[in-house]
Amino acid sequence: MSNILETSGLTVTFGGLNACDKVDLTVPKGKFVGLIGPNGAGKTTFIDAITGYVPTSAGSAIFNGEDIGELKPHERAQRGLVRTFQSLELFEDLSVKDNLLVAGYDTRWYSFLLDMIYMPRKDKEVEEQIEWALDIMGLNDVADAMPSDLSHGRRKLVGVARALAASPDLILLDEPAAGLDTAESQILGGHLREFLDHDMSVFLIDHDMGLVLSVCDYIYVLDFGKIIAQGTPQEIRESETVKKAYLGEEAGEIQAQAGERMTSLQHDQGGQDD
Amino acid sequence: MNQFLIALIAGVGTGSLYAMLGTGLVVAFRGSGVINLGHGAVAGYAAYVFNELRTSGELYLPWFDIIPEWGFLQTLRINNLPTRIHVFDFEMYIEKPPLVPTLLISIGVSVLLGLMMHLLVFRPLRNAPILGKVIGSVGVLLYLDSVIAVNFGGQNRSSSGFWIFKPDMEPVSNFLGLGGTIPRANFSMLAAAVVMGAFVFCLYRYTRFGIATRAADENEKGASLLGYSPQLIAGINWVLSSVLAGLAGIIFLHKTQPSLYATLVVGALGAALFGRLTSIPMTVLGGVIIGMMSGGGVSLANNDWWPNWLEIEGVRTFMPLLVIILVLYFQGDKLPIRGSISVGRQPNAPASNNVVVGTIFAMGFALILSNVFVSKWEAVLTTSILATLFMFSLTVIVGYLGQISLAQFSIAGFAAFMMIRFVGDGTLQRPDDYYVITGINMPTILGFVCAVVAGTLLGLLIGLPALRIRGVQLAVVTMSSVLAIEELLTKSRSLMGEGAASIQPTPSNPSWFGQYIGGFNKETFRTDYWKYSLFLVIITALVGVAVVNLRRGNTGRRFLAIRANERAAAAAGINVKNAKMLGFGISSAIASIAGIMLAYKIPAVQAENFAIFSGLGLLAFVYLGGITTGYGAVVGGLLVAGGMMPEFLGVHFGDVERGMINAVGAVGLILNAIVTGGEGVALLQSDALGKGPLALLRRNPDEDESSEADEDNATEGASV
Ligand SMILES: Nc1ncnc2c1ncn2[C@@H]1O[C@H](COP(=O)(O)OP(=O)(O)O)[C@@H](O)[C@H]1O
Ligand SMILES: [Mg+2]
Repeated sequence: MSNILETSGLTVTFGGLNACDKVDLTVPKGKFVGLIGPNGAGKTTFIDAITGYVPTSAGSAIFNGEDIGELKPHERAQRGLVRTFQSLELFEDLSVKDNLLVAGYDTRWYSFLLDMIYMPRKDKEVEEQIEWALDIMGLNDVADAMPSDLSHGRRKLVGVARALAASPDLILLDEPAAGLDTAESQILGGHLREFLDHDMSVFLIDHDMGLVLSVCDYIYVLDFGKIIAQGTPQEIRESETVKKAYLGEEAGEIQAQAGERMTSLQHDQGGQDD
Repeated sequence: MNQFLIALIAGVGTGSLYAMLGTGLVVAFRGSGVINLGHGAVAGYAAYVFNELRTSGELYLPWFDIIPEWGFLQTLRINNLPTRIHVFDFEMYIEKPPLVPTLLISIGVSVLLGLMMHLLVFRPLRNAPILGKVIGSVGVLLYLDSVIAVNFGGQNRSSSGFWIFKPDMEPVSNFLGLGGTIPRANFSMLAAAVVMGAFVFCLYRYTRFGIATRAADENEKGASLLGYSPQLIAGINWVLSSVLAGLAGIIFLHKTQPSLYATLVVGALGAALFGRLTSIPMTVLGGVIIGMMSGGGVSLANNDWWPNWLEIEGVRTFMPLLVIILVLYFQGDKLPIRGSISVGRQPNAPASNNVVVGTIFAMGFALILSNVFVSKWEAVLTTSILATLFMFSLTVIVGYLGQISLAQFSIAGFAAFMMIRFVGDGTLQRPDDYYVITGINMPTILGFVCAVVAGTLLGLLIGLPALRIRGVQLAVVTMSSVLAIEELLTKSRSLMGEGAASIQPTPSNPSWFGQYIGGFNKETFRTDYWKYSLFLVIITALVGVAVVNLRRGNTGRRFLAIRANERAAAAAGINVKNAKMLGFGISSAIASIAGIMLAYKIPAVQAENFAIFSGLGLLAFVYLGGITTGYGAVVGGLLVAGGMMPEFLGVHFGDVERGMINAVGAVGLILNAIVTGGEGVALLQSDALGKGPLALLRRNPDEDESSEADEDNATEGASV
């Protein structure tokens, strides 16, 4: 039970093509695990599969010791397996704060009756979690704004904050840094590891090698639906397979260096926060 | 057995109408991605035009004189909008105008209608969310139906069609050795449907225009590559669709009253869905099958063993619904509903903060009015408040949850009849009543509660399809269930008691806590009893506050989350199915309360009180007032026919005026969809106060072409 998520042989097929091919992957509790791979490798499909958005054709997914293969997406979310979307998918008609509130509170069958007489349930823990999520994603000043009034990057941060608001046990981030400007990526990158202090484990997909190498405890590399390598950031950085298959030698060097910069940057920020 | 087969074949006549109308629906859909709920009304209008030309030589244009006859307007010589042209001079009853020119003129009117629909309604709405498009087609339906009522009085016409479709031809006897007789016209109608289908099929298959349409259907860029503008393609298809509707209407002049075409569109929707909104041959086949099912069903219902609570007319109206549900169920998400993924922004739904102040103000205002004005005005006031009460149900289901249910007003009617059934004690309520009300003699309050529960259960049943389907398909299903509910339940004498099929007396002495709260004033013999008004105001205020509070709490947020994005809602841990059921339940409970309150007001109810067009009219006005807010329902209630606003302007009761008000509502509905995206008058004001009146023009600034169109229409809107 020290693994929060464990998939074995997970396979997703789209018309004969295996978008995920026998993926074995574990996320230990309280750890930060990354998944990288070129475009179309099947990373989003993997998240879709474990959150119930696409059917799997083989394999199993164990979350918190429970086989979640048969559960509906909302049931998985209620159990603490919460995702973000690569394509945003915010609630466009709700303010930023409301977006978070929706995810933060669950309902009982009688909640609507209490709502009708305006006695909505207030839960201190949930409110605090939402405050924290707004805070950490730097969204305090736009809490009452509509998502459509924000920049693309900040909309992405709203997506992450919404997932955080649900107090997940495992948060699945699908390319949260894509499309962020420098300042926004710093907000994100600088705080990602703080998620771990809030009783959650993190699973990160990203294109930005630097980011992934700098924040993850362990990394999987996916190509054509198959896991082709795994290891600590150090091992991935040095792995020949990865370099060949994915990074391309030169690009790898540059990105690896970027990763180091990011790490140091994080340390700087940490210093400021204290 | 033979008799059953003959009944099946006899159904082919109606089936051919479904097939022809279905073909037109598919054409419009392929051209523009819109399912036009008003398609039947287009056929009806053309049929009336044809008939009127043949009988009186007058051409009625598809609008009416909206300029009221107020003194100052007449001094200014603004008194009439031309609505008809005298085309043919001939000696009535002796000769008839020539057929071919008449037909050509009628087709011309169809072309005009097609162009109007394209240019005034659906082109400006092409970037609107699904809700906007469906509302647009509801607007077309309501508008044409109202204009038909105003211009032609909705009478039966049957003296002027083509001879091969006439019912009085010698019937075919002993067809295929089955014995019995089958109307000869059935065969010519089937032939007409097949020819029409074949024509459209070939047009799509073999002409450049058809290929471009198919390309546009797959992908808007496809048509551009072939050198056509997608909007040109859409326009041509709208005209074609409208002409097909007109022809179908004229061919069927003998079979049905043209005023019924508007609702016969349900069968056509079934046919079109059967053809998956793309295949013409399958659509024609689907139409014929639905017609045959109806014929066969009616024949079965005539048997002795048939349970008599299943009314024959109900069986007929249920068949299209059955086919629609089956098709949607089995084809499920595979149906190629282009644009079923919402594009464009939904109407904003802000939470209200000053609920208490607003409610006290509104209640006080209503009560002052009810004391100041006497007699007629009290009845008018309660008409408006009843409408507002009902509209709250639409605020929940359409405004918050984004599910377009057109059946809520039928649920109101069902609950009203159930209430009468629950409290009925088998006695004559008023000396001049025709029927006694029979039932289980419940106390008033218990009867009220049970009827609300019954209405809610029916609402949940109707909401079931919403778990699998959404958007316009849901509108189609709920619209088809309106007729089925009316014929199978509300009008069923075995379920609802003797008066259900005609006029059902209401309990003459409804009393809550010992107080008589009926609307009927036993002294003045009018519906103006003050305790009823007070009771209604209180109930409406309670419901209104509950609905507004819903939006302020987590339930409303969840509803709006589902409206915005079901995928993301599930990721946020929302059980979308349960939430939808909850929304249908709340909405149906409110609708039921409104229906029962209406039954308390008047001495007798009829299924017609809750007819489809009254329901659509209410939808139009709450949409106009603002579908997403409590204020919107209040404003909408003031606007309805028979309510405060029209009465205040001096437009009185009567079918014609009612039709006009609904038509004005329909125009307002469409304009509102285009201009404010459905936020309505109520929100427009708060917006205007906040950001200046031009704020609404800023909507969707990033959509290149549409903002121009929006501006055009905004100026139009200002002039109405
Ligand atoms: N719903 C789908 N139907 C068919 N193929 C799909 C679907 N979703 C993804 N794919 C295919 O699966 C592969 C993996 O896609 P995806 O998981 O989005 O990759 P990544 O997120 O790694 O960029 C791609 O080839 C993509 O085209
Ligand atoms: Mg992806």
